[in-house]
Amino acid sequence: MPCTWVMACAYAPSGCAIACGGLDNKCSVYPLTFDKNESMAAKKKSVAMHTNYLSACSFTNSDMQILTASGDGTCALWDVESGQLLQSFHGHGADVLCLDLAPSETGNTFVSGGCDKKSMVWDMRSGQCVQAFETHESDVNSVRYYPSGDAFASGSDDATCRLYDLRADREVAIYSKESIIFGASSVDFSLSGRLLFAGYNDYTINVWDVLKGARVSILFGHENRVSTLRVSPDGTAFCSGSWDHTLRVWA
Amino acid sequence: MSSSSTASISQARKAVEQLKMEACMDRVKVSQAAADLLAYCEAHVREDPLIIPVPASENPFREKKFFCTIL
Repeated sequence: MPCTWVMACAYAPSGCAIACGGLDNKCSVYPLTFDKNESMAAKKKSVAMHTNYLSACSFTNSDMQILTASGDGTCALWDVESGQLLQSFHGHGADVLCLDLAPSETGNTFVSGGCDKKSMVWDMRSGQCVQAFETHESDVNSVRYYPSGDAFASGSDDATCRLYDLRADREVAIYSKESIIFGASSVDFSLSGRLLFAGYNDYTINVWDVLKGARVSILFGHENRVSTLRVSPDGTAFCSGSWDHTLRVWA
Repeated sequence: MSSSSTASISQARKAVEQLKMEACMDRVKVSQAAADLLAYCEAHVREDPLIIPVPASENPFREKKFFCTIL
């Protein structure tokens, strides 16, 4: 599928479409088809338009709405069918690098992290920032909700990952070691939330015990920085993507 | 000169509004919030294949014993 430099991609909940975007400042939705005669590019639909690069995108609970985060410092909620902007979220002082939607079906919030060192929690309906956290010392590269939805973790260029509890409205844990000096680019929780997997720019993946705050294990294998990491929906494995052109599945 | 100061005044007003909203939020004590996180972990740890390994028969990533050979 032709596109300029892609920085973000997402599957629709039904599995029938994907969204992607990047330096073209747009988020485009491609309906998936297994018919070899149809060209996917022909069905491409541009949904979001930002004034700077698209850093992250995610479908909400339905195939009909997409949430995007951009280098222009804003997040936005779009209607896929009409391409209309439904809600925009202003508040970050710099590029927004990542976002994650709250896990519950009834949840209407999402968290975003940006180059202004802040993680902000937003109400999708009102466009208001509900909570903001600024304890990192550098860009927040990745945010991920805890499986219960009451907390979220963030990974940052300051070489730490931090856990913030939403109901207590504060940071509750820091995952760091003096020997880790490279930024964390991507974080994800295991199914129960006991383990936090974080990919770092020093080519390793560190596994942290969320409750004890200690490192459980360190995984080597990539030959360049780990840029992204996700646990599978059934929790049996997780996959990491890296600048060494490989995707590795760890189980 | 004056336009930039009015801009920063409106920005400051917005910040104050935001802070007022945030100050009214109901907060839970960390001891309670942490206990809840712990409880959630304990409750779901059985379902987590990365903590409690599933038997090899069900694990899709197990070491394969039988390999395909080209006849």
